Parts: sequence; structure tokens; C-alpha cells
Amino acid sequence: MKLPDKKGHFGDYGGRYISETLMPAVIELENFYKGIRNDKAFIKELNYYLKNYVGRPSPLFYAKRLSDVYESEIYLKREDLNHTGAHKINNTVGQALLAVKMGKKRVIAETGAGQHGVATATVCALFDIECEVFMGKKDIERQKQNVFKMELLGAKINSVEAGAQTLKDAMNEALRDWVANVKTTYYMIGTVAGPHPYPLIVRDFQSVIGKEVLKQIDKLPDILIACIGGGSNAMGLFYPFLKYDSIDMYAVEAGGLGISTGKHAASISGGKPGVLHGNKTYLLQDEFGRISEAHSIAAGLDYPGVGPEHSYFADKKRIIFDSVTDAEAVSAFQMLCKSEGIIPALESAHAIAYLEKIKKQIKGKTVIVNLSGRGDKDMHTVSDYLSLGNKHR
Amino acid sequence: MIKENKIDNIFNLLRSQNKTAFIPFISIGDPDIETSLEIAKTLIDAGADIIELGFPFSDPMADGKVIQRSYERALKNRISMEDAFNFIKRLKAYRDIPVIFFTYYNPVFVMGSKFAEDAADAGVDGVLVVDLPPEESDEFNKYIRKKKIYQIFLLTPTTGIDRMRYVLSYAKGFVYYVSVAGVTGARKNLPDEICSNVKNIQGISAIPVGVGFGISSGEQAKAIKEYADAVIIGSKIIQFIESNINDKSKILEKIAEFSHGITSCL
Repeated sequence: MKLPDKKGHFGDYGGRYISETLMPAVIELENFYKGIRNDKAFIKELNYYLKNYVGRPSPLFYAKRLSDVYESEIYLKREDLNHTGAHKINNTVGQALLAVKMGKKRVIAETGAGQHGVATATVCALFDIECEVFMGKKDIERQKQNVFKMELLGAKINSVEAGAQTLKDAMNEALRDWVANVKTTYYMIGTVAGPHPYPLIVRDFQSVIGKEVLKQIDKLPDILIACIGGGSNAMGLFYPFLKYDSIDMYAVEAGGLGISTGKHAASISGGKPGVLHGNKTYLLQDEFGRISEAHSIAAGLDYPGVGPEHSYFADKKRIIFDSVTDAEAVSAFQMLCKSEGIIPALESAHAIAYLEKIKKQIKGKTVIVNLSGRGDKDMHTVSDYLSLGNKHR
Repeated sequence: MIKENKIDNIFNLLRSQNKTAFIPFISIGDPDIETSLEIAKTLIDAGADIIELGFPFSDPMADGKVIQRSYERALKNRISMEDAFNFIKRLKAYRDIPVIFFTYYNPVFVMGSKFAEDAADAGVDGVLVVDLPPEESDEFNKYIRKKKIYQIFLLTPTTGIDRMRYVLSYAKGFVYYVSVAGVTGARKNLPDEICSNVKNIQGISAIPVGVGFGISSGEQAKAIKEYADAVIIGSKIIQFIESNINDKSKILEKIAEFSHGITSCL
């Protein structure tokens, strides 16, 4: 069966749980996207920007020293080498083209770590669209460099002071803005979540990752690994491979201080189904259905939900969801720096850390890890974390 | 014989008297359970025909700052669904007027069929789930229909005629016309198109139409009375709680005064 269905459902998940004011806007987007999705001129234009602006295809790098350590064949999909330093731009280039073609003059976006915000501000500069980014006050403080980047790129940053002042609160505020300005404004969601058709659109634009890998390999891999917050880099790598039953896929959630502590961002490993931000999916929540705060050292994974298609494949056990802790991610971060000369984003370090966790299963196998972003933005976080650790020693 | 829904009864009665309903909104547990119960009673005494009660949620993305802060205050009191239903039982024991339970979907969704059972037991007559459009409402309606509870649907300035027809085909009790494209919150000026949009609704269906979002004065209420069946006011009332947070008697006094002002216009 082709997913999502007509109403945007992935089995029990997905759908459109939004206020009535926004319904016409998502229906308009759905119809517009349906018309342009397979349009040759649109695809040609998108591919032009992906090649000449983003710098695609991104390399598939054989990580020899890492492979030696784990006695396996490990390849890294180098999304960290994209313009703006992460996979996020694959999606924003595509959605910016949609916004332009729909005649929208203003774009809004939410951001956590600032990667999607920077990717949005970047394409808005490129296509001359007014851009406003909503970001939690706490995230603004811990991601100063990305805030400065967005401002340089001409975006207006709105500090969100409600709730925990992180990504989920930024998304609430973006939705409030959208409801008031829905006629003129395009809402650029950064992950495979939100009301239909966003999970479909973002999946389409991120699938370029997996499609390229298929062209870059000589034989099918045995195992795919990606980190997962909302799930756009994971879906981007996995989706073109889902038809190959022999391939095992692992989505690595942010285990924070450990699932049992409650301080984590592992919506599937440690949450249950619910409804938030336009879709039905696994969520971190309390017994009364109120949404819990997520925790992760990786700001890009620090969200209490996950894309609905992931929830579907989690139940089907087609994608295996597991988690690694902050500590494991930071170790992997350091290890990759020294063994391959690559500084990964803390988000992507979760995927690298998983190699250690399943080292028995990967022995003798071909493994592809999505290196979704680079770690420049995380220097302060990691250095603070390590100096704190040293004090305890 | 199956008892009719109280919402139908009140609108039938008011229509026969050529009157417009006053539907105030408050959050359960703001500033605390007992005071919010006193506020609800005050609203009833001042002439509320139906009362809309909000269940505080962690992520109220359809609400403006005033109701956000109201929920934050209520959440500090750790209001559970059980607390909310006990509140409604006590209120209904005071005066049995129709109660609309306002909520975001997740707290209701996680309860499954139990929500409808407990809500009916507490005396809830309608449920407004702000992020549950008709397309996704089947499961929820299966539960509440058994208990003769209505889901209250919304129409907005962005709703075109075709979608109006579609939403109205689901509507029961009354339909809530959202006067402005935006979040909740008192506004000095309301758009001119409210009247024409309400007339469009009335051209499609005979269901009563309530107008809400942004209404803050008797003058606005008087204008809306000319064409609508109900005036719904939330943020303006909650502002009285916020600005007199340390003086409960003043909260009650101000809300009574404001509500009398509204009902005298209707």
C-alpha cells in the first residue's frame, strides 16, 4: 500500500489535527504540491539548485579506520558537506521553490538547534523571501552562532518565552503566527512531521539522500543507521531502501541521561501515541496527555515527538528504534574526530555511537551511517560537557 | 425517550424569545479550583446561558497570551481530568446550565472511550476540540455520540463556502464562528466580514451560530446580536483574573460587572 493514504495517514498515524483556520492552507498546499510533485520543469529546477547551490551529490565515504575497528565495511553519507552544514537544506530548497511558485511572500519556520532556521534563512535570501524564525529563548542562548548566522542572512528571529523555551514551544508560536497570517505566509516545517502533506513533502525532498546512496554503492548494504529527532535525515536515507527486505534499519533516538531517568528525547523508545502539532504519532507525555519536556545534549533531537511515518514503521518493526545517551554520543563524537578527521554534529554522533552498541551484529557486514551534519555549531556544548566531566573525575 | 441535548433546548428557548446567548469561557483551575468555581457561579448568576470550560494544556497553540498564561496558572495546580469533571459536577449541582468542555485533543485521545463516559457522568453537553477537524473526528464521535454529547465545530474567516457545507454537515448544537484569523485574545476592532460570513452559514444551515474570538465589549456584543445566536467571550474575562490576581473578591466583582454589561446588551 502506498503511504500516506489520501487523508495523510500512515496506518494509525499522521493525519491533520489542526485548527479549522489552518485547514484551507494545508489543503491548498496539498493540492498545489500534488500538481507539481512530478512536474519535469519543477524537478529540473530543484535538481539545479541541489547540484549548484547545495553541492550535491554528497560523497559516500568509506571510513577505513572505523571499519577496521568494527571489522565491518562502514560508509558515511556526508550530509555534513552540504551548504550550511547539514541535510536540512535539501528540504528548505524544495519548500522555498514551492513557496515562490505559490506566490507566498513571507516564510516562517521553527528551529531548535538553529540548523533548520539557518537553512530556511539561507534559501529565503536566495529567493528573496521575507523570513521569520521562531526559536525558544533557551535555544537562542545555547546556539548563539546560528542565531547570528540567521540574522546575517536577513531573517528576523522571534524569541519564544513560553513553556520550556525550546523547539516545541517555538513550533507552537510558529503555528500561532501562521494562523494569523495564513493567507500571505508559507510555513516551512523542518522535519517529516506536522499536518499532511508536510511529512510527505519533507520525505520527498530528503529522499535524495537515499537515492544518491543507491547510485553510489556497488552492492546493497546490510545495515542502515541514522539518528532521529523528528526524523527527516533518517527518512531521507531509509525511504528509498524500504523495499529491500534484507536491509536492517536502525533509528537512533536521543537517550539523554538514560530512558529510565525520564530525561531524554526518545519518543518511540520512551513515549506513547498521541496528537500534537498536527499529527498523531509517538510523543513524550504525562498520564494526563500533557506534553513532557524533552532532553538531549543535541538540540536538534530535543523534541518530544517524531514523524508519523516513523511511528508506523516502528509498530511494524520495519525500522528498529533504539537510543544512545548523551555520554555515548559525546564519546562517539570524539572518536570520529580522531579516527576519521571528521567533526560530526552531536545529532549525527548518536548514529555513530550506535556502531558500538551493535558491534556484534555489524561484524563482517556493510553498514551505511547517515552523517547528517557537521559539528561546528556544537563546539561550546561539547567543550562545556567535557570540562564538566573532568571536574567530576 | 432519549433526552435531547441541553444545548438544543437553550437555543430553542432563546430563539423563541428573540434573544442571544452569552457564553463565557474560563479555564478550570485558574487561579485555583475553588476560585474558578466561584467565577463560574458568578458568570451563571450574571446571566450566562451556556458556559465554556477550558481544560488546561501544556501546548495551547490556538490560544493567545492571556489564555496561555491562564493555563500556566492552572497547570501549576496540577489539574487532572478527574478534577475537571468534579468541578463540572459541582457547578452543575449549583445550576444545571449547558457545559461546553474546551480542550486540545491529546488529553482526550489518551483516555479513549473513558473520556466520553466520564464527561457524560459529569454532565458535559458539548466538547470543543480545537485541533480535531471533522476529517479526524470519527473515532472521538463514536464515543461521545453514545453519550449524547455533541462535538462543537468551528468555522473561520478562511473557510470557503464548500468547506463550510462540509463542516456544517458534522455540526450539532451550534457552530462556533471564529471572528478573526488568529489566536484567541481580546481585540478592539473586529473585521467587517463577520456578518456576511455568519449569513453565509445561515444560508446553508439552520443550526445556531455563536461568534467568538476577540470580543471584548458590550458594543461589539450588541452588533453581533443582530445576526448571531450567541456571543462567546473568553480572554476579556480572564484578564480580570490576571489583573486582580491577589484579590479574589475583586476578580468576582469585576467579572460580575462586566458580564452584566454584556447580558444587558443581549
